[in-house]
Amino acid sequence: MWELIQSNKRKSLILFFGMGALLILIGYVFGSFYNPESGGAVGIFFAIILWMILSTISYFAGSKILLAVSGAKEVTKDVHPQLYNVVEEMKIASGVPYFPKIYIIDDPSPNAFATGVKPENSAIAVTSGLLSTLNRYELQGVVAHEISHIVNRDILLMTFAGMMLGAITLMSEVFFRGLYFGGGSRYRSKSSSKNSGQGQIIIMILALVLAILGPILAQLFYFAISRKREYLADASAARLTRYPEGLANALEKIANSSYKLRSANKVTAPMYIVNPLKREGMKLADLTSTHPPISERIKILRALQQGVSYKDYQKVFEMIHGKKEKIIPDSALTESIPVAPIMGLANQNKSFSHVDAKREANDAVMKLNDYKFINCKCGVRIKIPPDYNQPIVVCPRCGTRHQLG
Amino acid sequence: MNCPVCKEPMIILELNKVEIDFCPNCSGIWLDEGELELLYSIDKPDNELQKLFQQTTSSKEKSYKCPICRKRMIKTQFSNTDLILDRCPQNHGIWFDKGELEKVLTIKSNSSSEKILALLKDMFSYNKSQEAE
Repeated sequence: MWELIQSNKRKSLILFFGMGALLILIGYVFGSFYNPESGGAVGIFFAIILWMILSTISYFAGSKILLAVSGAKEVTKDVHPQLYNVVEEMKIASGVPYFPKIYIIDDPSPNAFATGVKPENSAIAVTSGLLSTLNRYELQGVVAHEISHIVNRDILLMTFAGMMLGAITLMSEVFFRGLYFGGGSRYRSKSSSKNSGQGQIIIMILALVLAILGPILAQLFYFAISRKREYLADASAARLTRYPEGLANALEKIANSSYKLRSANKVTAPMYIVNPLKREGMKLADLTSTHPPISERIKILRALQQGVSYKDYQKVFEMIHGKKEKIIPDSALTESIPVAPIMGLANQNKSFSHVDAKREANDAVMKLNDYKFINCKCGVRIKIPPDYNQPIVVCPRCGTRHQLG
Repeated sequence: MNCPVCKEPMIILELNKVEIDFCPNCSGIWLDEGELELLYSIDKPDNELQKLFQQTTSSKEKSYKCPICRKRMIKTQFSNTDLILDRCPQNHGIWFDKGELEKVLTIKSNSSSEKILALLKDMFSYNKSQEAE
């Protein structure tokens, strides 16, 4: 476990400085494009300021903003006991010393994500749609996947990667706007006639190439790390629950859902357990997708018949993927104790009632929105919205008058 | 969610695991599409729900807006009865006016509408007994 964290932390640092270097380069080139004499320095200055602002905000408030944007609300144990219990179990199994905050997003589309740059203030958010479609074992798989993101420090890595992508996209956007309104050509025509015409052309070409390719490269890079993280989190989840079938079933249910997540956008998409923006990908789209194809993730999980250790996952991954690619760092592959998967839990799924799960999930969302619940003695459950302004409510079944307030 | 007729907040009633939205002000009922699906989930041939509702143009009733998407609802005929209900064009659910609810409670159920009618009759048994007096 610790080796995975170490290697991730190293990657985060490399990314952090790489991001700074790329930004400085782009700032210098764009600046020189507009003003060859002093523009480079000004460009660097603005690039560093932009980078510092984005990184500071994302480090200190990123998870809060993300949770707010997705409309997530924090829940306590009594709002949705099963979810709370599952998170507690997985927290103990994974050995994280901190209890992650639990959030529910009111959305019929099943999905989940984890956030928080430090494990101390990490959070797991699931949609109400997820709670109403998954049974306990499937929910366990999803929560284990999210906890793994926290344990492996994936969130820190993805936050910095996301900010690099954001800053580069922003700068090339500004550059093209400037080009469009003709800001650059005015300065250039004055100076290029006099001196260093050749150097100016090189800068010009470099700026255009960087403006076009920069965001695309950054995005591909971002997607590539994001995909790898997903495999690793799947492997960790299988190992934590020792029941890969649970996560496999969950992924299948999520993929088959016809609902679309309302609050998802391009930047937040890689955070989710299943990409909320794209339908099950064709092979062509693999390069630009933030997640591995779900069918492949399911296939790997289902093939983990012999064991659920990292070694087994890497072996099965290579078998199904057809080529050698390191998903799991070498140090984690030396684990010698065989971890056997639990089989035959599928029979216990029969007690799962889709209606009950949906009711429970909806009630949790209503509790979060300050609805009052009255259990009438005749069996009717009355749920009263917070903006209901009448002093009494009459049960239409038995006529009991319930006093409010 | 607010009542499409009198715009007051509606309360939610749950019985036998089915939820319906009820306006205590005008006694109108909103049946959510998801709840209808739950009601029919066990033995649902896909078009059974569709068969229950036929679009009609003969109604001169005032039309209301869907409380979820605010689109104007379509007048539909309920299961070969003379009951005219409002149905959301985007299938968010159906609306029963107060008068319509009373009619529903006196309809002899046929096989396909049985579940909705049984639920409503059970849920509003007190209101029904009040009407009888």
